[in-house]
Amino acid sequence: MQALLIAVVLLWSAQAKLRRPARPVAAYRALGAAETVVSVSLLWPSRIPALASSLLCAGFLLYLLYAHRRTPQASCGCLGAQSVPISMRSILRAGLLLTVSLSAVFWPVPVTAFGWAFGVVAVVAGLAAVVTLSPELDRHWLLPWRRTWARWTHPLSAPQAFDVPLDSTVQQLHHSPAFRQLASDLASDVREHWDADEWRILLYTIRSQGRTGTAVFAVPRLRYAPDAVRATVVDLV
Amino acid sequence: MAGFFGEVSWFCCGNAWGPCGSTGHGACGTCNSGSLQHAWPNTSDACFAITRPDRCGDSMSRRGCGFRHFTTNRCTGQRVGTTIADCGPQTDLFCGERTCCGSACSTNRLIDLTPAAYSRIASLSTGLRPAFVDVV
Amino acid sequence: MDDTMNRRSLLTSAVLGSAATLVGATALGSLAPEAAFAGGTGAPPLPTGSKQDVEAGMRDPNFAEGRITGIRDTMLLVAGSDATLWRIRVTGGTSIWKLRPTTFDSAAVGDGLYARGVLLPDGTLAADSIWLNIVNLVVHVAALSRDTIHFDHRGNRIVGHVHHGTTAASYNGTPAVQDLSMVTVGRHAQVLGAWLPDTNEIDIATVYTTAG
Repeated sequence: MQALLIAVVLLWSAQAKLRRPARPVAAYRALGAAETVVSVSLLWPSRIPALASSLLCAGFLLYLLYAHRRTPQASCGCLGAQSVPISMRSILRAGLLLTVSLSAVFWPVPVTAFGWAFGVVAVVAGLAAVVTLSPELDRHWLLPWRRTWARWTHPLSAPQAFDVPLDSTVQQLHHSPAFRQLASDLASDVREHWDADEWRILLYTIRSQGRTGTAVFAVPRLRYAPDAVRATVVDLV
Repeated sequence: MAGFFGEVSWFCCGNAWGPCGSTGHGACGTCNSGSLQHAWPNTSDACFAITRPDRCGDSMSRRGCGFRHFTTNRCTGQRVGTTIADCGPQTDLFCGERTCCGSACSTNRLIDLTPAAYSRIASLSTGLRPAFVDVV
Repeated sequence: MDDTMNRRSLLTSAVLGSAATLVGATALGSLAPEAAFAGGTGAPPLPTGSKQDVEAGMRDPNFAEGRITGIRDTMLLVAGSDATLWRIRVTGGTSIWKLRPTTFDSAAVGDGLYARGVLLPDGTLAADSIWLNIVNLVVHVAALSRDTIHFDHRGNRIVGHVHHGTTAASYNGTPAVQDLSMVTVGRHAQVLGAWLPDTNEIDIATVYTTAG
């Protein structure tokens, strides 16, 4: 049972390295070839292939622990060409595979030990655990599930009445001739703002010829009309 | 190289506060948020493989660390000179994105400035501006 | 409070050109940028762009970056990431951003800071603009939960808090809106927000993304 699970995972890992190598170096290809050989040999009723897979998994776990510590942004390159930084999930997956490999050495359980159905369910459950611990495969199941869940629950819906965000007003202001005429003299970001009926008033500090004042802009609040933006400069801060 | 139009944004570098605490000093090893520097999408083969501006139809000249560009905010006409200190932005993630100021529009993210540089030509709270980039 | 309301009424009247609360279309005059500095002798000519005073690639002495270590009257004491110690002077003309335009009272010890201003002869920086905890991140949207967007940033998880009335979304480069329903799991995005010091959390100001 354990051997079958490890064989499937190693074969998947090997094909990811050999078919779409993200790292076309000889060592990477050789690793893929080794995984292929070990996965096929696991189908042979002997503990030696299980021992080989244990050594592979132990080596990989040590590599992940080392790489996670030295270069956390480095891609795992484990089960796919997609670049995914090494995470605790990857390390836990390697630990799980090592545990299963060692159990295949010391306590091998035939697939049919408790009946075919149980055996198949157990292997499938094991593969599900491996998939759950594989960030490279998230885009195939986890992200679609989260998208569906968001469509059902609308977690970002706003309970309050609609209002125009300040950023929208600032964008409209930047599109206006009034702003462009004063922009090169503006010395600050938005200092203060308030709403006055259909207008939103924005204040900026303006500096020109050694004098400092305040640029006052009135931007239409509820419509997009940059040409209607009004501005004045007052000699106070 | 003739000047070109594109979008300019800003990024932090150097072992500073917040999410910048782990960014390091960029691909060139010299990037700091308080210096007049920028990220360029074609500093090396490895950089180009990440940013892929060609996927957005833009061909960017290969320029190395320390090369100087001038970025003009098309909204205000303000201009800043900076040198390359990092690889970026990730152009192919935002292909076709368009930012305008009146009738002046620019498409695709082609340069990222440090906060010190960006704040010379725009407010940091704007996040993204249409720009013109040249070497003189 | 009364002073603020009076000042705002005065400035509103100044820019709208009328004391009336409702301004008709015919009363919309041309903007008056030429009438600069009311009470002055006339409109000063708009200056051309000045030559860059700091060499490209060098540290800008008129820009401060670091974390606030102390607040004294109207002065912010800031420790830069390069060990520079800044004294930043805040005046009535200083804009302060902390998720939104705010006042000096919002500044707190431990806040991350960027500031642009003018370096004075006494070594203090007279700030024109201060941005507290501002971050601009390219991320992937990992998950959505109630009033929260979970981002992946360079392999690290960042929790983004939505503040209705402030948080906005800009889809495909269109003007920002309050509707966040089109933010989609799995998409990349640019997030402008305010970092919550010493956490992996941010308050979201604007999300720039493609519509789902």
